Amino acid sequence: MVTAATFLQLGVSGLTSGATYALIALGFITIYRASNILNLAQGDFVMLGGMLTVTGMSRLGLPYPLAAAVAVMGTGLIGLLAERLVIHPIRNKPLIISIMATIGISMTLSGSALLLFGTSPRTLPPLAPAGAVSLGGGVSVSSQALAVLLVCLLLLAAFHAFSSRTWSGKAMEAAATDRLGADLVGISRSVSRMQAFFISAALGAVAGVLITPLYFMQYNAGALLGLKGFAAAVIGGWGSYAGAVLGGLVLGVVESLSLAVIPAGYKDAVAFVALLAILAVRSKGLLGSRALEEARK
Amino acid sequence: MRVKRVLITRLEVYLVILAALLPLVVSSEPFHHVMTIAGLYALGTLGLAVFTGFAGQISIGHSAFLGLGAYSMAILSGTCQLPTLAGLAASGLVPGLAAWGIGRQLLKLREYFLALATIGLVQIFQVLATELEGLTGGVEGLFNLPWLSVFGFQLDRPLEQVYLVWGVVYLAFLFGRNLCSSGYGRAFQVVASSEDTARTLGLSPEALKTRAFVFSAVYAGLAGGLYACIFASVSPEAFGLDMSVMLVLMLIVGGVGSLPGALAGSVLITWLDIWLSGYQQYSLAVFGLILLLLLIFFPEGIFRGIGARWIDIVRSYAREDWRKELRR
Repeated sequence: MVTAATFLQLGVSGLTSGATYALIALGFITIYRASNILNLAQGDFVMLGGMLTVTGMSRLGLPYPLAAAVAVMGTGLIGLLAERLVIHPIRNKPLIISIMATIGISMTLSGSALLLFGTSPRTLPPLAPAGAVSLGGGVSVSSQALAVLLVCLLLLAAFHAFSSRTWSGKAMEAAATDRLGADLVGISRSVSRMQAFFISAALGAVAGVLITPLYFMQYNAGALLGLKGFAAAVIGGWGSYAGAVLGGLVLGVVESLSLAVIPAGYKDAVAFVALLAILAVRSKGLLGSRALEEARK
Repeated sequence: MRVKRVLITRLEVYLVILAALLPLVVSSEPFHHVMTIAGLYALGTLGLAVFTGFAGQISIGHSAFLGLGAYSMAILSGTCQLPTLAGLAASGLVPGLAAWGIGRQLLKLREYFLALATIGLVQIFQVLATELEGLTGGVEGLFNLPWLSVFGFQLDRPLEQVYLVWGVVYLAFLFGRNLCSSGYGRAFQVVASSEDTARTLGLSPEALKTRAFVFSAVYAGLAGGLYACIFASVSPEAFGLDMSVMLVLMLIVGGVGSLPGALAGSVLITWLDIWLSGYQQYSLAVFGLILLLLLIFFPEGIFRGIGARWIDIVRSYAREDWRKELRR
């Protein structure tokens, strides 16, 4: 029988994977708000972040922090390149074309990763000193997991500050809110879109650097991570940063708790069952979403 | 005015005869096998052409229905030893019922959310097919399935399978075309362009979308049922997201909303896929790049794309200032 302590422990460890989903969800939202495009290659940016860091350390002999920084910037530039080469030319095409284009980007990225890094799963040394912090009652949390949570919350605060305090953040918000209005006051939507792709690719890479020490990273790990991140963003309330983070954490915890109730093999379906349930019962997500209401009308 | 439903032109008769002779002229077993696979994809793409091209809905999840059809066939004809024709009927019926059951809730969603929810269907299908081991055989799936046999004739040679699959595809094509040129087809198009307009005209967008969904699920399920007979095995990873993506890609390459295009796109992309899979680890990256190039340069499908380009060039030559036109 599952004891209360086990239950709590599962919940706590769910928060860690939840924080990862939250970071991926943030990336989805950033691009969607700036360009109304759903970037299904988001999970591959996560994979690239982790794999590039591993390669930087093992092949180029860079120190850990430098390798991570290079990986994050490099992935950001790949995101920028993807926007310029693929998304920009098809920006006025029907929805199905843009969905397929981001799937194409995803296939190209994971295919290139297969060629560059091979099929073997890689891992990284932990960021935080090894060890676990006890929360009392037999429940403990690893310090790496705490670091992931902390970075996630810091990034959320940074995002909030960026979009409400800085000029370019406000410009991105404006371009997302009202296209014509943004055009009229001289905000370049093209530039906003480029910024958004750079930021969310870099954000995905940060998530990749954070989770590679916890789970193993492989060339094809991106697809499932990306889909779960998107599911998290919808569950929390599509379109808002806070919703993305909340949705990620909730999804992580639900997925982890499900381990106590149903066999582990079903874990990967939990996210999508939760998603379909949320869409059927409360389609605007936990925090509510204007974008989803409009998409459903 | 009464609409003429069956429209087979003389050109089409010639084309069908030529196509029917092709497997006899090129009588190599690999060719027959690849064309059989192309026919399976074509059947799935035809359903999607009605759902996406006419009713305007997006699905990246039809491999789940293909899988459902394949497993229905495998379980009925393999495990339960029923006649394969009964299995084939079930492989259309079960996905159709499943689509009917979830359609109304699912199709309230639009755009990206519909795309994501359909992707979710594939994930849920794969997990179920892996986990319900007693019924589905788990990760390995079911194998040693019987060949399709019609009234005692066993269709086990590649040549027979090509004719079987493409015969079904042609019937499905005729049915789909008649459907699309009937009142249903026009109603689907109204729903695709504006649901409010559809309501004003007394049409129910919910019911119509669900019907288009069921239609496409039945087509995909039949393709899955034939798949189970031809490969004589089914496994969960055969019906993953990449199969769904392939179906949508075939649809786009042929031109969304064109039924002959769906057939041509399926044949083209199947050959591309088989050809690329010879290059093993390069295939994924190259396939992704080709997909991107197709979307950027031929978003309306290559047939329409090439045609439109030709017309543009000819037109610009016809004008006096054609040099200026071309340079622009």
